[in-house]
Amino acid sequence: MARGFRRRRSGSHVRYAAQLDPLERATVAGLMDQVRELLEPEPRSRDDGDEFSSIVAGLGMGVTVAAEDQSELDASAAERDPALARLLPTANRQDDEVAAEFRRLTETGLRQRKASTLAAAADLMRGDDKLRLDEDQARAVLTALTDVRLVLGERMGLRTDDDVHLLEAAAEDLDPDDPLGYALSVYDFLTWLQETLASAMLDR
Amino acid sequence: MSIAPVQEEITLSGDDVLPDTPWITIVWNDPVNLMSYVTYVLQTHFGYSRAKAEKLMMDVHTKGRAVVANGTREAMEADTEALHGYGLWATFQKDD
Repeated sequence: MARGFRRRRSGSHVRYAAQLDPLERATVAGLMDQVRELLEPEPRSRDDGDEFSSIVAGLGMGVTVAAEDQSELDASAAERDPALARLLPTANRQDDEVAAEFRRLTETGLRQRKASTLAAAADLMRGDDKLRLDEDQARAVLTALTDVRLVLGERMGLRTDDDVHLLEAAAEDLDPDDPLGYALSVYDFLTWLQETLASAMLDR
Repeated sequence: MSIAPVQEEITLSGDDVLPDTPWITIVWNDPVNLMSYVTYVLQTHFGYSRAKAEKLMMDVHTKGRAVVANGTREAMEADTEALHGYGLWATFQKDD
């Protein structure tokens, strides 16, 4: 039985403590891995070994997307997986050109930062049943839980606040074997876990 | 999503658009992000007080969107990129 996050103070240190059983931890970590894989850019052979480019992109400077890659990014943005589109949303709803330019400059770095946060959070979830996170670790888990919930929510068709209530009402009539019922129970678990962590981190 | 039109009337004194017209960063409502989390992000990224962050969060929740920052285009782009990192649906645009 899981125990949600609570803020603990030991001396001058603050820790966020929770307890999850191995199945719960493996489920959460596995979902974080899947979202990370969704975000990781397609491997490009000519970029292999270009450590400097990947470091600069990771800083969010957005200077590493070569001109020949830009049209690829534009094309893929229009027809990409809706869950990926939700993780990397349009940044300007008034001007498609401005939005495309922003995407060219920021998307590679944003993907890398999200992927590395998800990897760090998944590692923490795979640690011990008793989680004790410092502030940076807690922020990584909190943010990773958001990205996982965004993807799950998109997969379940949550687009508006009303959809959440409609789905919960419909779930009562679902066949017990319907995967949607399982997805919803996982989503609800992640929502609960994230709420305990966000509340603990706000409580200062 | 309950989107209410945001009432903002801005009167320019001259006929010309001011060259330094500020840009704004907007956060849009979505059904997934938690109220506590949105408050946390606004406090952490912008350094807003709990009260200000909660007010903006409630505007997002009830009106569908809120202007969370204003300034130069470069600053609004940086805010938008950071908020995307947190999983909020943020956009930037000219404040007109």
